[in-house]
Amino acid sequence: MSTANRSMFWRVIRRSLFANRGRLLVILLALGAGAAVTAALLNLQIDAKRRINSEFRAFGANVVIVPGPDPQRNWPATLPESLVQTAAAAAGENAEVSGLLYTIGIVEVRKLHGELPVDPKMISQAVIAGYSSRDFSRLYPHRVVEVSQPLGYDDRLCYVGEKAARQLKINARDSLNILRQNMETGDDCFVQEIDSFGGTEDGQIFIPLRAAQRIAGLPGAVSSVALRLPGDSREVQQAVQRLQSQIPGADVRPLRQFAEGEAQLYEKISGALTATIVVVLFLTALCVMAAMTNVAMERKNDVGLMKALGGSVRRVLRLFLAEAALLGLAAGLLGAALGILLSIALGKAVFGVPAAPRAIVYPVSVALTVIVAVLAAYPLRRLAQIRPASVFRGEE
Amino acid sequence: MFLRLIADNFARRPRRKLLTAAALSLGMAVATAALSVSLDVGDRLAREFRSLGANLVVTPESDSLPLEINGVDYRPANSGAYLAESDLPKIKSIYWRNNIIAFAPTLEISAQAWSPASRNFSSPGVASRVIVIGTWSGHDVPLADGSSFATSVEKTNPWWRVSGSWFQENAQECVVGARFAGQNGVQVGDTLNLSADGKTWKALSVRGVLATGGNEDDAVLVPLGLAQQLADKPGQYRKLYLSALTKPEDDFARRDPKSMTPDELERWSCSPYVSSIAYSIKQVLPGSDVRVVRRVAEGEGRVLSRVRVLLGLVAVAALLAAALAVGASSAASVLERRNEIGLMKALGAGSATVGLLLVAEQSLLALVGGCLGYSLGLILARILGTRIFGVPPEPSLLVLGVILALAAAVTLLGSAIPLRRAANYDPAPILRGE
Repeated sequence: MSTANRSMFWRVIRRSLFANRGRLLVILLALGAGAAVTAALLNLQIDAKRRINSEFRAFGANVVIVPGPDPQRNWPATLPESLVQTAAAAAGENAEVSGLLYTIGIVEVRKLHGELPVDPKMISQAVIAGYSSRDFSRLYPHRVVEVSQPLGYDDRLCYVGEKAARQLKINARDSLNILRQNMETGDDCFVQEIDSFGGTEDGQIFIPLRAAQRIAGLPGAVSSVALRLPGDSREVQQAVQRLQSQIPGADVRPLRQFAEGEAQLYEKISGALTATIVVVLFLTALCVMAAMTNVAMERKNDVGLMKALGGSVRRVLRLFLAEAALLGLAAGLLGAALGILLSIALGKAVFGVPAAPRAIVYPVSVALTVIVAVLAAYPLRRLAQIRPASVFRGEE
Repeated sequence: MFLRLIADNFARRPRRKLLTAAALSLGMAVATAALSVSLDVGDRLAREFRSLGANLVVTPESDSLPLEINGVDYRPANSGAYLAESDLPKIKSIYWRNNIIAFAPTLEISAQAWSPASRNFSSPGVASRVIVIGTWSGHDVPLADGSSFATSVEKTNPWWRVSGSWFQENAQECVVGARFAGQNGVQVGDTLNLSADGKTWKALSVRGVLATGGNEDDAVLVPLGLAQQLADKPGQYRKLYLSALTKPEDDFARRDPKSMTPDELERWSCSPYVSSIAYSIKQVLPGSDVRVVRRVAEGEGRVLSRVRVLLGLVAVAALLAAALAVGASSAASVLERRNEIGLMKALGAGSATVGLLLVAEQSLLALVGGCLGYSLGLILARILGTRIFGVPPEPSLLVLGVILALAAAVTLLGSAIPLRRAANYDPAPILRGE
């Protein structure tokens, strides 16, 4: 195409675009709205994955490491405590990790202010769980039933499950003396919280790992390591494989209960969002198509004239397609930007955190809008069949 | 004359009217689908979430503190209390009975196991210790009204995977945990001998291998009746897993029912909060302690309320896009009529008459398009609902009303701006073709 031809091409387009401002506005509005909704939902879809991930982290530990099959069948099967560090290093920075050692101890309750317990023989067995890191309270989601003021004994705090507290009449701020069976002296700890877990943890008393190891007579041992790994189910699965290869003797188990729930839920949400995007784009196309049909009828004379002056069908069609693409581009650029802004606000409304705008969303939604605009110009195909002579005679 | 003008207009340009009507009805179809799916989806999603498993656990109240480590209870077999299996049908008689999706009792006992086919042990003398869990699989609970309620442990723990099949109730069959099977070389079809006391043995055929990712991987699962025989505890169980549809808890739900006024208590017990369901189950199961599995219930509630808001917003977005598209196409259809309007005015029609004519036309279009769109939308909602959530939403008349009102509002609004301009047209230049 020569320079003169090109400048003529753009001049025709400019003229025909602004020939009917009302219709131009209608088409731009429809395409822009389509682009905005597409961009907003696409962005939300990507963001929802991350958000649902982090919501699901509220379910607590998603991986546990337990002793592997032991040919000697030692009891109790334990893991070396050093494994907690290994696992924490392998799991990465954002993971929460705690080693746990379970044993059975004898619990003596010493009430606050030294008053005697109701029953002086209130001594009972309970499951003692030693924790190596305070992360454990996030690994086992719970509701705090009773909490004490900060006690200042950071290395001697214990957390008592609701059921154990009720059975042994323990309150926050009491102190406990926990002994090993058949031993005289035990470990002291101060009850920081009474917690309701809704699982077997409700019957347990969480104390620092060192104390639990003394009570169990198992220095340097843990029964299991609980981890909460960030990321979606695929990333967790990869981390599990990495952990398993670094810790050959142990059994790394992902907790399928939550991983599967998460994957299923995301699938549904993603499906709903995709369906909405498709439907909205289809709608946009239809709306533009209705407007383009009118364009086709109105431009009969112009096209007849162009053909009479020697314009080939291809060039004429190219003119109209360029017009449609230009409209799509303009509406897409503007609408998609608006849509991304919208999705930030929507993300805040839904998840309480503004959705992070993704760079990829913008070009994708602009491209989709242009494609829809060009496809919607389909009715213009009829212009190819126009015969100039009959148009000028006013026959068609 | 007025009606003839309208009829003429529709007959004379069927193609244009058809396109406008198509855009309108498709837009309204999208709106219908979005509305029906989002109105119906709440319950569906809650059900979806029950794939996280039981959110309530029932244990005997007077029980001594369980000494349970990794699924093994270190209490002597005879200590601690049990609950009666015969009370279980009462669960389906509480106010929230329709919210109870499934429940399954379990009875865990420590036993010895050996299998003639296994590589590791060849005689009863070297049997290995194993936890035997008695539970329900494909169990029908007879209800007071004569019907029965089908429930099973697969429903309370949907993430459990069995290769092979579950055991039949009332049969000498079992399902073995994957780790137990791997360590002892037990396969589907083998015979496994179980004994609680080491003297009397029961021979069970292995029907499946169970993978749970939890402690059950080391256990053997048998029908509840069989576990009761082994433990010599006929008709009793120790733990009940229960899966219920609940409403996400808010601050009100977390209050202690004992501190509420009668009005508040009524409101509290008439909302399906997990805690109020727990409370009413406790009323019908004497001597029980019903606990909410916080891990499941709280996470579920949070995610559920967020997803509901998200889907609601998606519906609003679809609705807005539909409204815009419809508005735009009706605006376009008025814009095309400049010449006609000019002619009418030249022949002496007032702006009001022209406006009325166009409004009547657009309303007719809205009514037809809205009704068509509603029926199309129902089909669309069925397809989308089935594909995404597994079950089609129920058609609702409320949606039809909303859709017709929306169609009328959007079409008239869309034509209002061009109509106002049309009313001000000066006929002379238009007729001259300027």
